[in-house]
Amino acid sequence: MTANTGVWVPPTWDEVVREHADRVYRLAYRLSGNRADAEDLTQETFVRVFRSLAEYTPGTFEGWLHRITTNLFLDMVRRRQRIRFDALPEDAGDRLPSRESGPEQTYEQMNLDPEIQRALDDLPADFRVAVVLCDLEQLSYEEIAATLGVKVGTVRSRIHRGRVLLRQALAHRAPGLRPAEPGSTRVESERAPA
Amino acid sequence: MREQHLSDEAVAAFADDVLRGHARERASRHTARCAECKHAVAVQREAVWALRSAPAPALPSGLLDRLRDVPSTTPIRAVPTSFAADGSAMFATFGSLGAAALAPDVGADEARDDNSERAKGMRPFAMTAAALAMASALGVGGVSYLSVDHKAGTPAPAHTRPAPNDPHIRLAHQLERVRTR
Repeated sequence: MTANTGVWVPPTWDEVVREHADRVYRLAYRLSGNRADAEDLTQETFVRVFRSLAEYTPGTFEGWLHRITTNLFLDMVRRRQRIRFDALPEDAGDRLPSRESGPEQTYEQMNLDPEIQRALDDLPADFRVAVVLCDLEQLSYEEIAATLGVKVGTVRSRIHRGRVLLRQALAHRAPGLRPAEPGSTRVESERAPA
Repeated sequence: MREQHLSDEAVAAFADDVLRGHARERASRHTARCAECKHAVAVQREAVWALRSAPAPALPSGLLDRLRDVPSTTPIRAVPTSFAADGSAMFATFGSLGAAALAPDVGADEARDDNSERAKGMRPFAMTAAALAMASALGVGGVSYLSVDHKAGTPAPAHTRPAPNDPHIRLAHQLERVRTR
């Protein structure tokens, strides 16, 4: 039996990995901010996928991967916060990003712009997830809400706050930031001159 | 009376150009007059632009190898029903059996610990779990046989007879989309 008889041929595990590994790792790296955690998150995501492939219910495969990776990351953050602080402060989102948290962290030279990654790392996890899923993974608000199990309004509000903090953290780069043109849409403002 | 400023949610949505209809018109009109809200929208766009200007991290090659090895390093509970002529294990799977054969997502780690002896014993067959999962995706009531040549990494569906009205068939289509993309 071959594919051209119309019988569906399931993808091999190798194909699943090749198709999705880059994207999962990229998301894991942007969320966790370091290579070791990103590798662990990616590996664990694929282990979960492997174990529960039979229980997968329809939706997009990418959406499923996003959900697994994001939730593993949030679990990791919560676990570490329990260890360090016992609880997440209610006003976490109102604190200014701390520049002091940086020095002992190391960044991969070949990867994300260290400054931008650091600004991202300084965001409270909930804001970081919303911003990364929206602005880097380019999911819609509705998809993010479904991924996180929160309301769309909450997603918008986290994205807004996350970007404000991010922009503050990168304030010294202002001359390098492209100013938003009056009346320009998001799509237009993305098109950099060739 | 002063016009109300845009809410934070509206600022983000307007910056992302996803507001529609009346909300969009109001945001458009307001930002044309209100420097504060106009600036807030610009801040949102600048943050997006900064983020997207950063290069994407590259997948470490060692990680790719480990991901490829997941089927042989992840124990599952499954019993092969027969062996093909080339020695590879073949499974007969029904939807429910296929699902039950896989450790559930939650508590999987515990299951692995509790059954470490058993898991070890099953390890020789773990390589076929991907095929098993995919076979079970083909149908409740439909019997699927898959054989796996792990070294070549090419599971070949030897015989598949999916049941026509199985919800899991949709997974097959999803995966096919993944495959052909």
